[in-house]
Amino acid sequence: MSKKLEARYLRDKVVKILKSQGVLIGLVLIIIIASIVERSFMTASNILNILRQASAIGILSLGVTFVMMTGGMDLSVGAIVSLCSLVAVSIMNGYAQAEGANGVALIAILVVMALGFLIGMVNGSLIVLFDGRLGETFIITYGMQIVVASLALLYTGGQFIAGTFGTGLYQKVSEGFTPIVCFLALAAIMHVILAHTRFGKQMSFIGANIDCARMSGIKVGKLRMITYGIGGMCAGFASIIVTSRVYSASPLQGSGYELDAIAAVVVGGTSQTGGTGGIINTILGVLVLSVLSNALNVIGVNANAQLLVRGAIIIVAVGLDMLNKNSAMRESAT
Amino acid sequence: MKRNSTIKARPLEIILDQTVLFLLFGFVIFMAFVKPSFLAWWNIQSILIDVSIYGVVACGMTILIIGGDFDLSASSQYMWAQILFVTLLNATNNPFISIALTLLSGFILGTINGLIVTRFRINSFITTLGTMTMIRGLCLVFTNGKMVSTLNPFIKRLGSAEFLGLSSLFYIYLSVLIIISLMLAYTNFGRRFYSTGGNLEVARLAGINTAFQKTAGFSIMGILCSIGGIMLVAQLRAGSTQYGTDLALTCVAATVIGGTQLSGGAGSALRTALGMLVIVVLYKALIYLGLQAYYQNLVKGLVLILVVMFDLFMTRRRAIRH
Repeated sequence: MSKKLEARYLRDKVVKILKSQGVLIGLVLIIIIASIVERSFMTASNILNILRQASAIGILSLGVTFVMMTGGMDLSVGAIVSLCSLVAVSIMNGYAQAEGANGVALIAILVVMALGFLIGMVNGSLIVLFDGRLGETFIITYGMQIVVASLALLYTGGQFIAGTFGTGLYQKVSEGFTPIVCFLALAAIMHVILAHTRFGKQMSFIGANIDCARMSGIKVGKLRMITYGIGGMCAGFASIIVTSRVYSASPLQGSGYELDAIAAVVVGGTSQTGGTGGIINTILGVLVLSVLSNALNVIGVNANAQLLVRGAIIIVAVGLDMLNKNSAMRESAT
Repeated sequence: MKRNSTIKARPLEIILDQTVLFLLFGFVIFMAFVKPSFLAWWNIQSILIDVSIYGVVACGMTILIIGGDFDLSASSQYMWAQILFVTLLNATNNPFISIALTLLSGFILGTINGLIVTRFRINSFITTLGTMTMIRGLCLVFTNGKMVSTLNPFIKRLGSAEFLGLSSLFYIYLSVLIIISLMLAYTNFGRRFYSTGGNLEVARLAGINTAFQKTAGFSIMGILCSIGGIMLVAQLRAGSTQYGTDLALTCVAATVIGGTQLSGGAGSALRTALGMLVIVVLYKALIYLGLQAYYQNLVKGLVLILVVMFDLFMTRRRAIRH
């Protein structure tokens, strides 16, 4: 009898771990399958490549995590990446022709991050002004996406800008392990903010129940605005990594990035209605998606068919998450 | 709510309630002064055709928004309908079978959306974000990103047929609009959308099968997206993943401009039709004034933001008043 109970206990425990670590297990499965199907997947250069590509989308996703934690949505981050890329490269082209003009590079990075922050704050203030909820954040940030993308197109008249600036700090950003270190450092900072400061706890509270948060005296409007600002700032920083890698900027640079970032956050398990999840979840989500997309590339699935997979993954991930939550609620009810 | 505000008529309230009409007249009068040829009959016809095609889908969006849901995948469904319809026409050469199968496919796609939303209780924004990506991928895989076109004579006749000087597409829209409006206003089935969107929990306790209602909304949306796609093919005799990328959000904007609130539970398809007319007139005016395409997009984005802000402002005002 006791053995039976023990077995059942063990089984429950295994099921629980499987459920809570679903993303991690998925990641491991994808890696195993990809390395069996295609030998070249598991090479050091490919893995470094995956991580480097993941870092730009990763940084974007960190910002989106903050926004989604407070029960919002930001569809404009891709367009912000486009605009910031153009601004960054034109600053570098204009003032950093000489080699090793690191001061200018630093200024360019700061300017672009400030620009991203500013656009994010515009997003935030529009949303907060009349207390918009999830539906409105979708449409307002979609409107901002169109506006910012058109501004990017107007900035260059639709042309792309080739980089002509000298080598130096700016290009170092995407060399070797630097983008990965940048991503992880930013993730660490944001994780500490989210999990261990009052600001972070208040954000989770807003995501869980905005009215309740307001009644408990949290400055909901101000906090939500700042999360959009941080989202924009992350987009600005991501644009530096992207432009540094490709040594040019296009007005369509970041179009579609927002979907990748949202997918990463959602797959990681940060809830659509806010309140649960976190930075570590997002890192896992980013890894799953970039490993998957690289694996599909290595195996030879074309970009169009990958859209199918990506859409399905969003739905399946959120569906599993909801099923999990429903069963958890049932458990706590009985 | 609507009846209430007309009983206690306040001047400001009346103006705010009829914003759509004022906007519309404002635009038209402005354009008539700046470019008198804007009111030429051929231009009005072309405006009405655009209103008809997008308006059909906007009817579906109105139902969904009344029921408290949302469909971002409308654009992708619309593309898929065009591509499928053209392919079927070329394969079978029978317009009726092609139309029936395209409508069926729309019904199935819409129902899948609805089932995901109701069975897994996933927010409709996220669900349709996922299905939008998937259906778009499907279209691209199917066509390799190329345009597909047809020379079918029936479709050519359907697209160019006119009655009383108006395109046949306009009459299709008119009949859809009338059917949907009557359904929403006078049938039990239609009215249940209002209760579902107004307060889901209360509606469920009152014995309404809210899951069925929501799913039905998505199914209707799917069918209407297919009708829209077929109408576009009738007009252009081609289908592509490039046609209608802005459809979903344009429909939302039209619905909101018309006065249906995003929070659900109120609104009407007729008002959405007016909203769509305003948007199309605005877009046409932008083209007519010779604005560069990037500026046009800029204005579209700004209009979308302004409209949602205005809607939010009105909702909050009402909430404070009561």
